[in-house]
Amino acid sequence: MLDAMQTGAPPLVQMDNIYKQFGGIHAVEGVSTDLYPGEVVGVLGHNGAGKSCLMRILSGAMRASSGQIHVNGAPADMKSPHDARAFGIETIYQTLALANHLDAPANLFMGRELRTRFGNLDEKRMLSEATEALRQLNPNFKNLREPVARLSGGQRQVIAIARAIYFQAKILIMDEPTAALGPSETAMVADLTLKLKQEGIGIFLISHDMADVFELCDRVMVMNKGRNVGAFRIEDVNKDDILSLIIKGTLPDDWEPRGNSR
Amino acid sequence: MTAPIEPPRIRFLPSGSTLHKLSAVITLALLIAVFSFTSPAFLSVNNGLTVLLQTSVIGLLAIGMTMVIITGGIDLSVGSILALSGVITGLTIKAGLPVVPAMGLGVLTGALCGFVNGLVISKMRITPFVATLGMMLIARGLALQLTGAAPISRLGEAFGTLGNGALFRIVEMQPNGFPKVIFPGIPYPAILLLVVAVLGWFLLQKRQIGRHIFSVGSNEEAARLSGVNVDRTKIWAYTASGALAGVAGMVLMSRLVTVQPNEGVMYELDAIAASVIGGASLMGGVGSISGSMIGAFIIGVLRNGLNMAGTSAFVQMIIIGIVVIGAVYIDQIRNKI
Ligand SMILES: Nc1ncnc2c1ncn2[C@@H]1O[C@H](COP(=O)(O)OP(=O)(O)O)[C@@H](O)[C@H]1O
Ligand SMILES: [Mg+2]
Repeated sequence: MLDAMQTGAPPLVQMDNIYKQFGGIHAVEGVSTDLYPGEVVGVLGHNGAGKSCLMRILSGAMRASSGQIHVNGAPADMKSPHDARAFGIETIYQTLALANHLDAPANLFMGRELRTRFGNLDEKRMLSEATEALRQLNPNFKNLREPVARLSGGQRQVIAIARAIYFQAKILIMDEPTAALGPSETAMVADLTLKLKQEGIGIFLISHDMADVFELCDRVMVMNKGRNVGAFRIEDVNKDDILSLIIKGTLPDDWEPRGNSR
Repeated sequence: MTAPIEPPRIRFLPSGSTLHKLSAVITLALLIAVFSFTSPAFLSVNNGLTVLLQTSVIGLLAIGMTMVIITGGIDLSVGSILALSGVITGLTIKAGLPVVPAMGLGVLTGALCGFVNGLVISKMRITPFVATLGMMLIARGLALQLTGAAPISRLGEAFGTLGNGALFRIVEMQPNGFPKVIFPGIPYPAILLLVVAVLGWFLLQKRQIGRHIFSVGSNEEAARLSGVNVDRTKIWAYTASGALAGVAGMVLMSRLVTVQPNEGVMYELDAIAASVIGGASLMGGVGSISGSMIGAFIIGVLRNGLNMAGTSAFVQMIIIGIVVIGAVYIDQIRNKI
């Protein structure tokens, strides 16, 4: 799946020299990274390292102070989440960004409601499409007409993932997608991540779970105090290397590439 | 993932919002029963029409207020906007404009005030409470300044049609030359309220803007991240509220056939109370037009019945205050179960 990298096709996403300041706080400082189709790139780091900011800049939820983003080789100026979606960028947020009072179909189609010829909400079609999209991910999905506040964390995350799939994400950002989930639900999200990757979707995955990172990621990028302190193929590092980067911002002194992939 | 298979839930109770509306309707019926008992004139056709007219003004305001409250906001300026709209209509009629375009201008004035509210709230990031409190003073000040605080009267018979006219009214000339009303008809304000309520329901439940109003009120950040234009949605809601305050102003001033720049003081509180009694949550994301209409009738009936029973205006305030707190309290208990 890393063929694209070798054939020299432009990456799905290329972020160059991204900066983000809040007053005196430098949340992101000159970070560059890229993402190819069908790969999962782990974005790792302490709380406050700037991971969410970097991803929010890519998803149009936040404007960078400076820096460039290219999608499929073409410059992409993400002024709003709406713009980002036009580039096929979908995001699954750490905080399960759903409207609690609305039901699953309303949440799945939020901001992109289906409408009839007369411009009215097409509730029937939204319900049937949502039912199909949700059942594909979880055959047991029930209570489609309940406010999502009454659903479990796993079911809520299924809605967020179904939203990305339904709208045919090319680039998926998962910001701690399992932070609010139990073990079996976490396993389900991991399965889905692999499935999406096989379909050629490029995924940025923010996670604190080392087991997940080594199971799912092809490459990792470690952030420390807003800086990119290391980007590696997953074969070239082990857990201790990554933890050292996360905590100290540097590799262990005796480090050399561990993999035999190059 | 293997989710436990849930047994189908047996529904012997109506859902939360239906339950709330049901209890509001029962409250309304109880009020009517009690007032019919205490003052015999309460249940007359004429008094029914009076209640309908009083309620139509609160009801029109409550429709706009409900939309604003669902976005998680509040509009304290509707009473003042109502007065300013009336003043603009009165002044332009005096300047020679026919009644219909003058009224159109009045409603437009209301919409403009609401639009400014929306801009201040979404673009300047001023909280709705403060922004509309400011507009409350600005619009009232303008209304008083433009008129020198004096009422504008002698606006012509046509100006009184909206507030005093009725559909299907049957009047018979008696031999003594005096007209006799056989059937009082359906007052225009009541028809207007019904039309606006149906339109409001349609927009909230069937159109994208309505869905966005609920999304923004339920989780503003989620709505924004999902690509909902949050600013536009809020501006829309406040503009609608302002425009409906203008419409309510037309009804009220037309009913009096006089423009009073100091009309409508504290009407915003009645409108908020109507929405809240009808089940709208000041936290946003919850509310309905039908509930707010029931709420408006509860307040209308309460005011009228207490008047008929000779209760002073001060005691009325106390009672309505208790009713509002009670309605919200019951709602909270209901949500905890
Ligand atoms: N909207 C904001 N305003 C001010 N500071 C912010 C904002 N968002 C993030 N920050 C700051 O930027 C830094 C990076 O935050 P974040 O990207 O959320 O970290 P991470 O996701 O890696 O835990 C933190 O110091 C945080 O306090
Ligand atoms: Mg984060």
